[in-house]
Amino acid sequence: MLEIQDLAVSYGGTTALAGVSLNVRESEAVCVVGPNGAGKSTLMAAVAGGVPPRRGRITFDGKDLVGVAPENIARLGISMVPEGRHVFGTLTVEENLLIGTYAMGDRRHVSKDSELLLGYFPRLKERWRQPAGRLSGGEQQMLVIARALMTRPRLVMVDEPSLGLAPKIVDTVYDALLGLRRERGLTMLINEQSSDRMLKFSDRIYVLRNGRIQLEGPTGELQDGEAITRAYFGFDDHPAPALSEAM
Amino acid sequence: MINFAQTFIDALSLGSLYALAALGIGLLFGILRLINFAYGDLITLGAYALIIPSTEAVATLFIGNWPWFLVIAAVAVVVVVAALASDFLVFRHVRRADPSTLMIASFAVSFVIQNVILMFYGSRPKSVDLWSNLNYQLQMGEVRIPLLQIVTILATLVLMGGLTLLLKRTSLGIQMRAAAEDFRMARYLGVRGNLVIGLAFALSGVLAAVASLLLLSQVGTLSQTMGVPLMLFAFIATVVGGMGSLVGAATGGFAVAFASVFLQAYLPDELRPFRDSFVFGIVILMLLVRPSGLIPTKALVERV
Repeated sequence: MLEIQDLAVSYGGTTALAGVSLNVRESEAVCVVGPNGAGKSTLMAAVAGGVPPRRGRITFDGKDLVGVAPENIARLGISMVPEGRHVFGTLTVEENLLIGTYAMGDRRHVSKDSELLLGYFPRLKERWRQPAGRLSGGEQQMLVIARALMTRPRLVMVDEPSLGLAPKIVDTVYDALLGLRRERGLTMLINEQSSDRMLKFSDRIYVLRNGRIQLEGPTGELQDGEAITRAYFGFDDHPAPALSEAM
Repeated sequence: MINFAQTFIDALSLGSLYALAALGIGLLFGILRLINFAYGDLITLGAYALIIPSTEAVATLFIGNWPWFLVIAAVAVVVVVAALASDFLVFRHVRRADPSTLMIASFAVSFVIQNVILMFYGSRPKSVDLWSNLNYQLQMGEVRIPLLQIVTILATLVLMGGLTLLLKRTSLGIQMRAAAEDFRMARYLGVRGNLVIGLAFALSGVLAAVASLLLLSQVGTLSQTMGVPLMLFAFIATVVGGMGSLVGAATGGFAVAFASVFLQAYLPDELRPFRDSFVFGIVILMLLVRPSGLIPTKALVERV
């Protein structure tokens, strides 16, 4: 479904991604694990059209995404939840949730979908008419995930959903993602810093460090965790070339 | 007391004009981070659109002779087209540039508009008699109010109401507010960048058109820099109100006007010529206390 080949991205003189290849198949949950500054966020931003690649190919259902505007990539069915939540603080919870359906002019499933999503995040319903800026961090994370799903994307990318959240809230968020996967057959690409939870949640894992994929494989084959630790921290005999940590 | 009431209405009417212009500037700044110094020239352009282009000293009304609602519509079309053209020809190409580059580009647009006006209309100020029956004075008790002031206040209220409805109640308005807050995130969610930016230019053009008609009815003379002082005060109003907040822009417009009109009325005679220095002094003091304006917005987010 999503194919990334040899993707390289730089900001000014610093390299964030140095030739990354990755793919996500229909109804898979794929996770990219890596330390801070590995290039995970850049990878998602490049797919979503937020940063232009220096080289490489990105295709979605065979369509080339390089050079396509972010709003048109969203229309192809890719929804992005960037790190740091990015709610529209002065808009109400309701307006935040509906913004994608306004933008795409597709209001057919609004009531059904918001009901489904509010079932997973009932706290959003209690705050329906409040400005989203007043929500707690956990509620904001729930809101941006629900918001990304209102336009019925076929691929949803979530950048570090657990960052800065209490463990209990992280459970709620992942329970919802898991439920939506079952219910909707949603395809997912998720970035996380830690692999523990992802070993249970995802089908395949990529370990990204210093802008390169260090390790990839189905979660079933990586269960002992040692290979991941080695790839993650770079305890191997030939260290990856030192690249600056751009993102 | 009578004097106070008179001064208050003067301030309200001047504040309306500042608020209109400040809203136009604030709309563009909200979405584009563009401080559009060509905005004053759009106001000038709207006023010149009323007469037949010629370099002669006497102005011949063209659009200005039409019924009032057609005048408003036609001037709005002219100014909106000019505003959209400035985006299409200039600002679109520097969209990723930082705000200071955008601002300098707007100076360039400003010079171009002024010189185009010079080319087609000549440099002599021309007196134009637009809606002179608005100079009729209403007698309310002891207070005399020119009809124009009431029209100015009402027009501003109508436009502000309409703008609020548009931004709060319509799909496009909600998309605009989202884009003003976080342009990149809005685009990730499918909001069309060029659409909301075009809409912001168009709306600011409508506000400029109305401001130019009100300004011209007040001053009665066309000159190729007539919009510049209004732009300057409106810009100060947006800074006072809080850059990026539309409520702030309108509030700032009224605040600056009240300060300036009341100082004019109550300063001792020998200090009156320095009124604007006092106004700007107050602005500086206020910014020392509230650097992000009367109604600050949250941290301005980077655009795509």
